[in-house]
Amino acid sequence: MHPAALAAVAVAALLPLPALAQTAYPLTIDNCGVSITIPAAPQRVVTIKSTATEMLLSLGLGDRIVGVGFQDGPLPDTLAAAGANLAVLADRMPAQEVVLGVEPDFIYGGWESNFSGDGVGERPSLARLGVASYVAPAACRSVVPPRLNFEAVFDEIAELGTIFDAALAAAALIDSQRADLAALVPDTRGLTAVWYSSGTRAPYVGAGTNVPAMIMDALGLDNAFGDVEDGWISASWEAVVDANPDVLVLVDSTWNSAAQKQKLLAENPITSKLDAVVNQRYLIIPFPASEAGVRNVPATIDLARQLQALSFPAP
Amino acid sequence: MSGLVVEGIEVRAGGRALVAGASFAAPAGGMTALLGPNGAGKSTLLGAVLGQRRIVAGSVAFDGVDLRALRPADRARLCAFVEQTAVTAERLTVRDVAMLGRVPFQGTWQSAPSATDDAVVSACLDDLGMTAFSSRLYHTLSGGEQQRVQMARALAQEPKLLLLDEPTSHLDIEAQLLTLDLLRRRARAGSTVVLALHDLNLAARYCDRLVAMKSGRIVADGPPAAVLTPALLLEVYGVHATILTVPGSDLPLVVYDRADSTFSPTKSG
Amino acid sequence: MARSSRLTAYLALWGLLLVSVVAAVVFGPADIAPLDAWTAIFHHLGLVAENPLPLMRDSIIWDLRLPRVLSALGMGAALALAGTVMQVMTRNPLADPYLLGLSSGAALGAVLFLLAGAALLMPIGAFLGSLGALALALSVAHLLGGATPSRAILAGICIAALASAATSLLIFWSATGGSYREILSWLMGSLGGAGWADTGMVALGLLLCAPVILASGRGLDAFAFGDDAAASLGIDIVRLRWTLLAATALLTGVMVAIGGAIGFVGLVVPHAVRLVVGSRHRLLLPMSMLVGAIFMLWTDTAARTLFDPRELPVGIVTALIGAPAFLLILLRYRRIT
Repeated sequence: MHPAALAAVAVAALLPLPALAQTAYPLTIDNCGVSITIPAAPQRVVTIKSTATEMLLSLGLGDRIVGVGFQDGPLPDTLAAAGANLAVLADRMPAQEVVLGVEPDFIYGGWESNFSGDGVGERPSLARLGVASYVAPAACRSVVPPRLNFEAVFDEIAELGTIFDAALAAAALIDSQRADLAALVPDTRGLTAVWYSSGTRAPYVGAGTNVPAMIMDALGLDNAFGDVEDGWISASWEAVVDANPDVLVLVDSTWNSAAQKQKLLAENPITSKLDAVVNQRYLIIPFPASEAGVRNVPATIDLARQLQALSFPAP
Repeated sequence: MSGLVVEGIEVRAGGRALVAGASFAAPAGGMTALLGPNGAGKSTLLGAVLGQRRIVAGSVAFDGVDLRALRPADRARLCAFVEQTAVTAERLTVRDVAMLGRVPFQGTWQSAPSATDDAVVSACLDDLGMTAFSSRLYHTLSGGEQQRVQMARALAQEPKLLLLDEPTSHLDIEAQLLTLDLLRRRARAGSTVVLALHDLNLAARYCDRLVAMKSGRIVADGPPAAVLTPALLLEVYGVHATILTVPGSDLPLVVYDRADSTFSPTKSG
Repeated sequence: MARSSRLTAYLALWGLLLVSVVAAVVFGPADIAPLDAWTAIFHHLGLVAENPLPLMRDSIIWDLRLPRVLSALGMGAALALAGTVMQVMTRNPLADPYLLGLSSGAALGAVLFLLAGAALLMPIGAFLGSLGALALALSVAHLLGGATPSRAILAGICIAALASAATSLLIFWSATGGSYREILSWLMGSLGGAGWADTGMVALGLLLCAPVILASGRGLDAFAFGDDAAASLGIDIVRLRWTLLAATALLTGVMVAIGGAIGFVGLVVPHAVRLVVGSRHRLLLPMSMLVGAIFMLWTDTAARTLFDPRELPVGIVTALIGAPAFLLILLRYRRIT
């Protein structure tokens, strides 16, 4: 081969492949009622809540994270290595000064309320300091999002891919999750379920518009509180017992573990007679996976596996 | 000995003696007045007799019984007290307040007044001319009317010993006389009445004994004619006065000097 | 009040109470026919052979609604009784059962236990907390020179403020996710999830404390004109005061442990009853209990049925009703005076 041609091939081989869709900066997007402008791919990110941290780690952006706060539990095994050395700013909400102290250019909040005076700061004042603030769309309260579905979760992944000029990684993640989801066969036994998130005297249960409903739908479970227009509600034990769910989804969090919930359900005279409690028909999901983020799909797959393992007597 | 006997009472507070070395006797069947300016210790002494104030020395005996050693319940059936002013935030009718006088006689679980209770209270309210006020709310009454209700309450206790602190201070002259008449009748019927009074002439007119106090000490004790002297009035009250005796009796009459002139019985005025 | 009208009033109140119980058991998110509900109850009581309800619905009636209804009755009676006593003991018409730091102390105790992971033991924490606050308040009053009513109130306010601050600090420092809701519901006062154990505690509290308090009706009447006047009417004021304080604190402590700081019942019910019955405590105390019981029964029923399937803490409902009711009562007082 002619040396010039070789050189051309070598140069072509060394050149980076054109990105799937290179982000054009400055980027302006509407996020939870606020228009944010991102001048360039953020390099110094603070993430609040596990969902935000896990999202960035899944997109391979762990090196951009300069601080994390208010994490809800340990990272999943797949991301543990990537997130091993993240700087923890606070176990709970870090103060505004602490956050600004690490000079971020982007703050990713898992809850809208993270951006408050005694949180990391109000969004307008952060913007004035040149810090872009991003609220996880599913958690937006001031502008109520439509009922959550997996496409909306994938949209969030894609949007972050765009923001960080990591569209390739985002697309790969979305495709992989979409495929996993498509392979999922919903349960056909017509089972009813209650999503028990927390609470002792009055149970805090998953209702119709957020992750609990989304996941139970995908699993083929009939959500007892699915027609209530809210993400979660404080219900009564009577309503739970009246629904007599076939299956109980228990959220495992550090402040209220699945084990504690099982104990309460078994010892409480009101719930102890429920069929699901007597036969321990529980599906367990870790808390961070119960909020919109990259863990929803893997958690759904895992719950489906748990569900399949449950046996019901022949009617 | 019947009646009230007080010996060597001493009451201290804040490092000083409010009452010291107080001894006097109030005979049964009689009215005894405690005299003295504000701060002389009259109220404190009455409180000590009732057992409401701690004493560091002395004793109180009524009909030979140590009054302070009695259980409150027993003492209440023997002795009644009328305060100078009695205020309450509760919504009580006049009859309710008078009925409180029957508390020492009512059982724990007795939820309504008995027939005796009703009869006694009705009679007492009548004696004080307060029957027409029976359903009025106590706190809507004038000071004088409230005083009379308190007296009705005290009389409803059917006490043998009646202690009163300035019971006529808010009353008009007619009511004052009615009240003192009533107390005198009770005394003559056998009770012992001890009352603190400001009006020296009324005290002389109604009471058998006068006990004068100054700065916590008793400085005079005896029948009105013996106690009311210009010297005593100057010493105890710091006022100049002339004492006249009503002709045909030994009843003293106090005539105070005005700032601009001394009273002279020879002048007409 | 004449004897015959007193009797009529008592009969009317007891009648209303019974009717309320019968009705309240029938209300709830689950759709259960009234006749079936009561037949099931009678079955449990051994009066009827067959239970018309299947297991789950029967459990709703017998394990959930009935004990909750009875707990509400007892709690309303206890809080109204405690409120009446506090108002006369402190000679302050704005007094309520929680005046001496009892509810703030209980809140602190409950939150401590909750954050330590012993959510199910919150009632014990609450009880210990309320007694602790009371002891502190009385000590402070003593330090101020002896426990008189006004000193006790001042000390109570001081301790309550302290306990509230500590509670807020704890919440801010350590609470996460779901525990905020638990704590808030507890602070507002809630009978959620009340079962037979709770009913038993309420009944025990009432059984121990109510007779003692009711027996002091005579003494409370005598208190109308203050300590000295009461003493001169033969009341052993020191003994009476400590007995009443102990009984009221114990009673309130138990109630707060079970239901949290349910407000307005102990403040408003005594005033409402006083408007009709006057200040004769031998009548006022038992009547307050009856009215308080009925009031609480209905507010709790509203709290658990109005926003089906959601459940409100009952303290919100008592506040929503109690505050305007208090205003009305104050206006009536003014007109009468």
